[in-house]
Amino acid sequence: MSALDDAQEEVKADMTPMIDVVFLMIIFFICIEFKVLESKLDAFLPTDKGSQNTVVEPQEQLSIKIHVQSAGTKDYGRDGPGINPNTERPNRFKLTGHLVKWEVGPKPLYSIQEVKKELERIASDPASQVPDKATGGKKLMSCVIEAYPGTYYKDVAETNDAANAAGFEEVNFGGGLGPGK
Amino acid sequence: MNVEKMVKETIEMDMTPMIDCVFLLMIFFVLVIDLSQKNLEDLILPRAEFQEPDESPPENRPILNVLQNGTVVYQGVVAYNPLDPEKNKLKLIYDLLFNIREQGVRTNALHLVDKEGVAAKVIDEPILIRADKWTEWNVVGEIMKQCSQPKIAFWKVQLALSEEDKETGEKNASLKK
Repeated sequence: MSALDDAQEEVKADMTPMIDVVFLMIIFFICIEFKVLESKLDAFLPTDKGSQNTVVEPQEQLSIKIHVQSAGTKDYGRDGPGINPNTERPNRFKLTGHLVKWEVGPKPLYSIQEVKKELERIASDPASQVPDKATGGKKLMSCVIEAYPGTYYKDVAETNDAANAAGFEEVNFGGGLGPGK
Repeated sequence: MNVEKMVKETIEMDMTPMIDCVFLLMIFFVLVIDLSQKNLEDLILPRAEFQEPDESPPENRPILNVLQNGTVVYQGVVAYNPLDPEKNKLKLIYDLLFNIREQGVRTNALHLVDKEGVAAKVIDEPILIRADKWTEWNVVGEIMKQCSQPKIAFWKVQLALSEEDKETGEKNASLKK
């Protein structure tokens, strides 16, 4: 009986280190997956379009136009254009040499940093304040981003970001639809 | 000696059920998190410095994904594809948004509210548009145009961004700290 006891004791394995390692691996992979936070920029659409029942007074707003200067070239890398058989989605490309020009009001600008500066200048100008019907006081005028054909999501998102940074709370969208050439 | 042995035996605890439970809980949570990520396509979002982190998104917010070639994907299903002759009609975007609204209102996931100066009711919940940084704006603009139709009336639109540009590796200052 004593020999049998010994034999039974030998086959017992200590699972604790393995469980520890598995736990650590699970935590590691969970953390890696969700490290980069996604964020959002709010935009509001004109709800009075086509369903308006009251007279709306024209509002003063700042126009920010985005024009394409250079369309850029698509670089698909090694895979080339086509469909990825694993994901069934088209292969991704990088765009190189894509340049845009902004027009903030009448002023042409050539970098997003200049756009930020100009928007901050306009936001701090007392002449940019318009009457606020809701509170009876004053508020910063709204701005409308007009993206012309050939512009990309990045161009508009950067502009929206610059407008938010300058203090414009109400950002609307307009401009030409249609694809680039 | 005999009593001491008995005492020793009683304080030993079997950890196996607890470990089993913890494993099951972890697997459950991992699966739940995965399900919530199912709506998100693998895209490279543009980086912006001043955006709000999306830490507590509204539960019932619809998410539209726009791929580089303008394909619109909702819950893993292609709703509009400009390169597919059967799916390249812009009305498909309208139909998609209309169905999201109808289903949302029917299941009480989306709520209609009155807005001052507007005859039709509008949807109170926002809609999130996730597009690749190199997606042409015209498709996103078209989705926005359809959102503003009175029969759809999603008036709060959110544009998804990232704190890190995975293409260039540029990070926001908040991530560098």
